[in-house]
Amino acid sequence: MTSLLSVDALRIDAPNDVPGDAASDVRNGTRRTILHDISFDMAAGETVGIVGESGSGKTSLALALMGLLPHGLRATGRVTFEGRDLLTLDDRTRRDLRGRRMAMVFQEPFTALNPRQRVGAQVAEMATAHGQRDGRRARLDAMAMLERVGLAEPEDRAQRYPHQLSGGERQRVLLAMALLLAPVLLIADEPTSALDVTVQAQVLEVLRDCQRERGMALLLVSHDLGVVAGTCHRTIVLHEGRIVENAATREIFTAPRHPQAAALVAAVPRTGPPGTRA
Amino acid sequence: MAARTWNRLLHDRPARVAAAVLAGAALAALLAPLISPFDPALQPDPVALRLVAPSWQHPLGTDPYSRDVLSRMLHGARISLGVAAGAMLLSATLGTALGALAAVVGGWADAVVSGLVDILIAVPRLLIIVALVATFGALSPWWLVVLLGGSGWLTTARIVRAELRDHLHREYVLAARALGATDWRITWQHLLPAVAPQVAVAAALALAAVIPLEAALSFVGLGVQPPLASWGNILLDGADYLTSAWWLVVFPVAAITCTVGAALILADRLRAAIGGERAP
Amino acid sequence: MTRLILNRILQAAAVIAVVATSVFVLLQFAPGDPFAASLDGTDVPPGVRAEWRARYGFDLPPAQRFTRWAGALAHGQLGYAPSQHRVVSAVLAEAMPRTLLLIGVALAIGFALGVLLGLLQARHHGRWQDRVIGALTLGGVAMPEFLLGLLAMTWLGARWRLFPVAGLASEGDAAAWPMWERLLDHLWHLALPAGVLAISVAARVARHQRAALLGVLQEDFIRTARSKGLGEWTTLWRHALPNAIGPVLALLGLALPSLVGGAVLIEKIFGWPGMGLTLFDALLARDYPLILAATLLATIIAVVARALTDVVAELVAPRRERPV
Repeated sequence: MTSLLSVDALRIDAPNDVPGDAASDVRNGTRRTILHDISFDMAAGETVGIVGESGSGKTSLALALMGLLPHGLRATGRVTFEGRDLLTLDDRTRRDLRGRRMAMVFQEPFTALNPRQRVGAQVAEMATAHGQRDGRRARLDAMAMLERVGLAEPEDRAQRYPHQLSGGERQRVLLAMALLLAPVLLIADEPTSALDVTVQAQVLEVLRDCQRERGMALLLVSHDLGVVAGTCHRTIVLHEGRIVENAATREIFTAPRHPQAAALVAAVPRTGPPGTRA
Repeated sequence: MAARTWNRLLHDRPARVAAAVLAGAALAALLAPLISPFDPALQPDPVALRLVAPSWQHPLGTDPYSRDVLSRMLHGARISLGVAAGAMLLSATLGTALGALAAVVGGWADAVVSGLVDILIAVPRLLIIVALVATFGALSPWWLVVLLGGSGWLTTARIVRAELRDHLHREYVLAARALGATDWRITWQHLLPAVAPQVAVAAALALAAVIPLEAALSFVGLGVQPPLASWGNILLDGADYLTSAWWLVVFPVAAITCTVGAALILADRLRAAIGGERAP
Repeated sequence: MTRLILNRILQAAAVIAVVATSVFVLLQFAPGDPFAASLDGTDVPPGVRAEWRARYGFDLPPAQRFTRWAGALAHGQLGYAPSQHRVVSAVLAEAMPRTLLLIGVALAIGFALGVLLGLLQARHHGRWQDRVIGALTLGGVAMPEFLLGLLAMTWLGARWRLFPVAGLASEGDAAAWPMWERLLDHLWHLALPAGVLAISVAARVARHQRAALLGVLQEDFIRTARSKGLGEWTTLWRHALPNAIGPVLALLGLALPSLVGGAVLIEKIFGWPGMGLTLFDALLARDYPLILAATLLATIIAVVARALTDVVAELVAPRRERPV
């Protein structure tokens, strides 16, 4: 089975990193490595979770796949997507893939939306960015998608600005945006971290439904193994920029090999009979 | 805290260049009487030596009254930069004092100072001074310093007030108060040093604003009066001959632009050095 | 929004009141009696003189004089300008539109140009385009407008004769030209003074715009825009700029008073017969009523323009939509 996505020895450096005190680092010429030698595959329609504590490099991994790394960071290695090496692609082709074949949902829904544009237009822009000339058609599609992701009263909400929506509504908007053109790979970076628990469950359910419906591959990034557990068949655990586990989610829960994985498993709140230690 | 800012600034190349330019200008101004080849007011030969192009004898040429331009530029630096520096110091001091008053005393003091700033800041500074000069007659450089300095404290006051209000809520102030320190002591020992870098930025900006102002006033005859030289009135003296005697335009313009540019760069780099410290 | 407008109106009114009062006070100190017989003697007939004295209450105590004067001011009666042999209001009524034209054109062109330059710099951040434009804008900010005007006038105007060096229109039989040609002639005369001011405005706007854009480009929603596959220019134009232009407009308002000051000098240099030139001619002629009225009016223009800019800034970029 040829994989949809194949990451091979991916490494992310920050050649001129500026953490903390700028002066000393610049003098040392320190180069911080965020990801070391990351390799894994993903098949079409597969659901994979990427878990790790803060600073483990999971968000950088997600951004690297999309080609959205911030300026100071540099990715080396090979990332093959649908047969093409993303890291060596020219700008134009890369941009074409973004949104159309692979899309991303971001962590903080408020800051991820343009405060000055109505949300409906922001979703519709996904279509117009990829050649949809008919503005009305784009808006209709956007509306349909907003409804599909469970946004109540989509016609009303679409006319609003981000600050006029709730956290859960905003996240659904981001989801609708990402799913609009039916990408084959969706990368979700902590899509529920900024939400309340009840809303979290709802958003995860929408994610699962859409994924199943479209046979879309889903890469779910989170610091919470619990979030990943209900959704992903396979889980990759990252620790300080390296992969320490790459196995079926069930296996990781029952028999974690690396201490970091074990710690993450232990952190998941478990319900059980009174007196059971979580 | 301030040491780190200072350190950052020292390593910053644009800041070093700018500081060097200003230092050079200041030095030239200070040493003017010693290094000027001629007496700036000397008119050796108003017929034969007028409007001579730059030459070995007169590196920057002569003006319509046969005065040596280099000497006049050097002495002009004295006046122009002297007035500018004086005005800058005056406005920095006034601005800091009033800003501190507004922030520390608060209440009515704040209302008065802020109200005053809001009103005065909307008025074009040049016009105020023109109106005053027109009414009271031409001014000596000292009065110019007073007028320019007295009209330039507004942004400094705003900056100082904002900074101090921010600092007043910080723990070390509360701690000092708890230990029984008086407001005056707290202000003097802790708060003012804390805002010193910001005041430096404001001062650099004030300098950048006042040099052109003095030049403009002198250029229209309302500032430094002849035979005293100022970069502005060198231009005025040559006003009728500008098309033929390029040296009467280029040198004053270059001097003014370079000093103002240097002050702006310094303010910019200083702000960056302070800002770097703020990064979370 | 209404609160802001009200606030700005009140502020403007306060400023104007303060300046007007100051002008009155200065008038009292002004040497000589504006209506003295010896001033341009023959042109001020005794009857007129007496009438103006009575009108402005020069025989009354200061407090009453002030109220009289303020009243007259409110009615637009600003006194008599001996150097022009006309009432001040007539002089200013003629001069003000020209100044407004000059400043208006300079602001419009300067702002547009500045925004464009800022965009270019943000697009090519760190590369040679950014550096070159940055050096140019630094020069534009460092060089005072009147010096830039002087250089332009000397070289472009007098030396190379590309533009006229003075006045509103060409001399002589230009008055007989058809409307179209006269209009073009006016524009030709406006080009250099307005151009110089526009460059000064553009330099300042560009620097602020660049900073604002670079700041906005760090925000998350820019990343979202890029994740949609949008190109750099589209991202800049549609997402970054609308969010970055507000602060620039606000800062423009702050720079307006000094722009008016600069315009006054430019008028003198280019002989553009607006408020600035009127002011300077009045200075030469020691025409105190005109000097002070012109100063007052120029200040009013600056204040009103600033209030307007603040309101426009709020309209374009309301503060309510900032994330918490």
